[in-house]
Amino acid sequence: MSMTANTPRRHSNHIKHTRNDRCAKIIAYLIVGLFGLICLYPLLLTVTVSLTPEDVINKDGFRLIPRTLTLDTYTYIFAHSGARILKSYGVTILVTVVGTLGSMLVTCMIAYAISLREMKYRNVIAFICNFTSIFSAGLIPWYVVCANWYGLRNNILALILPPLFAVWNMFLMRTYFKAISPSLYDAAKIDGAGHWTIFFRIALPLSVTALLTVGLMYALSYWNDWWHALMFIDDRDLYPLQFYLYSIVSNVNAVSSGRVPSGAAANIRLPAETVKMAVTIITIGPILFGYPFIQRYFVKGIMTGAVKE
Amino acid sequence: MQQTPKVTKRGFVWEMKHNRSLYLMCVPALLLLLAFAYIPMGGIYMAFTNFSAKDGIFGSPYVGFQNFSYFLSGNPYFWKAVGNTLIINFWGLVLGTILPITIAICMNEVKNGVFKKVSQSAMFFPYFLSWVVVGAILYGFLTSNFRVDRKTGELIITGANGIANRVLMSVGATPVRWYAEAKHWKTIIILLDVWKWAGYNSIIYMAAMAGFDGSLYEAATIDGASRFQQIRYLTIPMLKPNVVILTLMCIGRIFFGDMGMIWGVVGQNPTVLDEVTVIDTYVYTSMRTMGFGFSTAIGLCQSVMGLILIVLANTAAKKINDGEGLF
Repeated sequence: MSMTANTPRRHSNHIKHTRNDRCAKIIAYLIVGLFGLICLYPLLLTVTVSLTPEDVINKDGFRLIPRTLTLDTYTYIFAHSGARILKSYGVTILVTVVGTLGSMLVTCMIAYAISLREMKYRNVIAFICNFTSIFSAGLIPWYVVCANWYGLRNNILALILPPLFAVWNMFLMRTYFKAISPSLYDAAKIDGAGHWTIFFRIALPLSVTALLTVGLMYALSYWNDWWHALMFIDDRDLYPLQFYLYSIVSNVNAVSSGRVPSGAAANIRLPAETVKMAVTIITIGPILFGYPFIQRYFVKGIMTGAVKE
Repeated sequence: MQQTPKVTKRGFVWEMKHNRSLYLMCVPALLLLLAFAYIPMGGIYMAFTNFSAKDGIFGSPYVGFQNFSYFLSGNPYFWKAVGNTLIINFWGLVLGTILPITIAICMNEVKNGVFKKVSQSAMFFPYFLSWVVVGAILYGFLTSNFRVDRKTGELIITGANGIANRVLMSVGATPVRWYAEAKHWKTIIILLDVWKWAGYNSIIYMAAMAGFDGSLYEAATIDGASRFQQIRYLTIPMLKPNVVILTLMCIGRIFFGDMGMIWGVVGQNPTVLDEVTVIDTYVYTSMRTMGFGFSTAIGLCQSVMGLILIVLANTAAKKINDGEGLF
């Protein structure tokens, strides 16, 4: 359609619209910027508080731009509970690495198998997987079976095995495998390759981005997991980093509720604000450093998961 | 008997033999599901027993529906937990739909690449934090260290105060002992939930918007529609199917609280926990106080209600969505 019949009325309408559009744009920038700040600010604050001397915090409260910067808190932490933190770091790294590798192997194998049309019972298997996400036994039976039958109490396997297979990630992986052209598989089959060979030599190498996406999702959930430690771990030597942080914060929380008898409260030595913030930064350190590189894989994964095949 | 074509009718055994390697690939995952999802379902039997750890799941005395009648008939804590779950999920659903859609629409209007990238990264970041970390960061916001002098009523600062209190004091209001006053916490929990998931959910909506037909917008521009009008009459109506599907999913899970969120943020603060207890945390705490049988019974009720609602939501989704369900 051409705009030859530009009557004066339409013309003024047009001007109004451009002004209107600029207004829309400004509002959009404001909302996006504001919410971005709301998400970023707490994090920046945590970083700076961990770098501020304790007495400055007590005098001025939390400030985004502190007057003095110091690494004292970090040296203090590593001098006093360095061994503890390093041990927790070790537990978290071990669980994340072993868990992610195991998860990927288990998840990719089943996802590859049920992505193939030639597998007759693929829908039955998909339903067996799906059903666990719509009905579950509930926390208590799960806990009793894990603790009493499988002996997962104070066992590092409690942090690795229960979250090893995530149904959602499997379906995500299946979507990626389905996108591979079957003719590639057929060619390999003519050359005499079996499914194991096709899986390891064709399907996996063709899905590097997908593997990174799903692998990072598993790694993040292992890194962030404190829940299984809350359920099964009492032994401080097996505390993952997140649970170490949890034990600090929840003590502080309980004392500030005002419900703990003052005698008992006096006995619990509270860590300073700066220490809590520094432990938080230590806990999320790898995520902070890796974030610029790993972020896009998560965006990709969410988008793939959101669009139904 | 008539011979059927070989390709279409082959038995279970043939399939297992022929595609053996494919089924073997499924075995580890299925074993994990068996161990951590299906075998625990057998433990549901605990709901009908007076469970004691000494006798085990199947050795404990059978008590019928006693556990159920106990919490269904006037156990105030249970009903409070149900109410809290519904309130938190309802507001989480409403705000957790409006905010991400607003962000996604605004994001679409932002053309400056750097600004877009930086703000999207910032918004997505909370998704990467565990609730424990969120709880620790929140503590920095809400710390309160002050007391009010009994005689003069004067405010005495005794230590660090978080942003929330500093803002309150700067406008002349009395600061709040956040962790000792329960009444604010439902709001705090709902806002935190919306905050943490807004970036994630806005990505879902942006994915949907990326698939919209651009020629519709061109036509609208030529017809002289302003950006506001395009959003109002094109974007929002076209997002409706996504909103409906996500809403139905939420409704299917309306009886499930996020225990990780409550436990990670509130921790073991009894004052606040009372205010924001959801069914899931009540199951966990009642495990110690009321016994395993009782809390299993609550969990079972929750699971069954969840199953019914999800099936209903799925049926509704199929009706609306041309036969495509939620799963």
